[in-house]
Amino acid sequence: MKHFFEVDGVDYQFALSRCQRGYRLRLSNKVIAPVAFFQQGEGRGVLTIAGESEPVRFAIDGEVIHVHIRGRTRILHYRDPLRTLACANHEADHLLARAPMPGLVVATSVSPGQPVSAGTALMTIESMKLETTIRSPRDGVIDRIHFNEGESFERGAVLVTLVEEGR
Amino acid sequence: MRELPFHTILIANRGEIAVRIIKTLRRLGLRSAIVYHDADAGTPAVSMADTAIAISGRTPMAAYLDIAQIIAAAHKASADALHPGYGFLSENAEFARAVIKAGIAFIGPAPESIELMGDKIRAHNFVQQNGFPVAPSAIEEDDPATFTFRARAVGVPLLVKPSAGGGGKGMRVVRDLATLEDAIAQARSEGQRYFGDGRLYVERYVENPRHIEVQVLGDSFGNMVHLFERECSVQRRFQKIIEEAPSPALSPELRKRVCETAASIARAAKYRNAGTVEFIFGGGEFYFLEMNTRLQVEHTVTEMITGIDLVAQQIYVTAGRELGFSQSDIVSRGHAIEARLYAEAPERGYVPTTGKVLVLEYPDGDGVRIDSGILQGQQITTAFDPMLAKIIVHSPTRIEAALKAHRAMRELVLLGCETNASFLTRILREEAFLSGHIHTGYLEENPHIASGEPASDLSGFLATAALLTRPVREPADAVPELHAAMGSWRN
Repeated sequence: MKHFFEVDGVDYQFALSRCQRGYRLRLSNKVIAPVAFFQQGEGRGVLTIAGESEPVRFAIDGEVIHVHIRGRTRILHYRDPLRTLACANHEADHLLARAPMPGLVVATSVSPGQPVSAGTALMTIESMKLETTIRSPRDGVIDRIHFNEGESFERGAVLVTLVEEGR
Repeated sequence: MRELPFHTILIANRGEIAVRIIKTLRRLGLRSAIVYHDADAGTPAVSMADTAIAISGRTPMAAYLDIAQIIAAAHKASADALHPGYGFLSENAEFARAVIKAGIAFIGPAPESIELMGDKIRAHNFVQQNGFPVAPSAIEEDDPATFTFRARAVGVPLLVKPSAGGGGKGMRVVRDLATLEDAIAQARSEGQRYFGDGRLYVERYVENPRHIEVQVLGDSFGNMVHLFERECSVQRRFQKIIEEAPSPALSPELRKRVCETAASIARAAKYRNAGTVEFIFGGGEFYFLEMNTRLQVEHTVTEMITGIDLVAQQIYVTAGRELGFSQSDIVSRGHAIEARLYAEAPERGYVPTTGKVLVLEYPDGDGVRIDSGILQGQQITTAFDPMLAKIIVHSPTRIEAALKAHRAMRELVLLGCETNASFLTRILREEAFLSGHIHTGYLEENPHIASGEPASDLSGFLATAALLTRPVREPADAVPELHAAMGSWRN
């Protein structure tokens, strides 16, 4: 069965199939077997991967899985392939200025209808006492500013939408 | 020893430093009171304090900066002394004056010392006039245009800093004079926002410098001692992430010179209470950087090597006691390393992260100290600084301390919010760190340390996630098709 996970903004597609002592993991052209996981109480377990066993701590929060193995932690987002397809964002990504981190709007330096060049400062945002300037990803005209000053947003939120000049 | 004149101490702070102060208050038999914004309700500091008084503000940060509300809370708690912790109002002379005027002892230096050293321009002039070494610089006085002109004359690389700043806020390195005006505008805006003061100064940026600072402690009787140095060269964006004591860069002669210079600067300033004199160290020379007139985040490594509780000393000195020891009584033993756990993603340019702490387990063992301000179930928001906890270790030698710190970081489990734990773990096994050859620009020059492991190392994580996820797991655990088709004939 194929699985889809996103880690650090990168989508990974891989397959798990049964084998003699667990599962076989096929990750691009790499095959790892056997793979097995024995849960030992809440949030704990032992992962056996290619003959080596490691204690694992985990927490599941909806479709987000937090995993800690050998001193390292990863956050994996489960991607339902059908839903991913249905929710595909049809807006052209190059016309969007997105939030690189969660935070709040400190100041907006442009207004709708204003033509801007690539690199023009659009907005100043703040997160955990860190101030960052959001710049225009390309030449265009400001279409919409999605958050007012003082409003907060999550990472990846669309802050400003542009339209191509002349449209 | 006579009894302390204090009964209740109000902590005008939050998070790990509030917890750390409460621990000493308990040990000294003093009551603790704390102010808190709703965003901090239920956090360890609020639960541990004997009294907790809610304060409000337009933002959570604004609440902790509201002098009138904090003084009112101190009265409400019948506090006879106030500890400001670090950050927030800890280096605000107006606040210290208001506290004293309200009849409450301020656990820190005199407001005049905060004014002198808190203002980088005045501090720089004071230190230079007293014959101590400072880096080439330009100071903003009244005219911004003249300042820009004089800043150009210092030459690149330059460091632009808010005069009233700290913690790297608003600081910008300028390597090309074409970007100077942009850097000045941004530093001014941040200085105004965070410190209520948009004045700036620039100084020559020493390439590959080390950041070495000296802990000092003075009383009202004119006694001044140093508690040796700390090395804080592992920084990202001018913010320290790993600190240690002693510094691996200093010979015994240099150590003596730096530490005695620091104590002399503090003595010249008639400084009282705990403070830190910071230096840039490069090419065998050191220059005065600034003096912090408060307890610092990294005070813990000094406590580990000297065995002296700095918060207790701050309280004794404020209570008018004479220091109970002289310079020759202070001995440095072993090596201590502190790693700061931040809610941030080093792999994505150290951007802040948020989330709910779903699992939290700290390492323990001999010589491992955890100063933490969070607990399981707590929401990490963007309202405050990203520091969550500090992991501090102490061992007989530097290499043993580095190994212990590495093990401790690997054992730490925090799930639910991205942190810099893996990044810290990677730094602790870097050849440059282990050999002690580090400087403040090291992480910037070696972005591979922040970028993390290659994707191929993800197989264990992906396998675990796949085997754990319900919609994935059900079909994977289902009876294989062939067997299912056999129905009741299966045996």
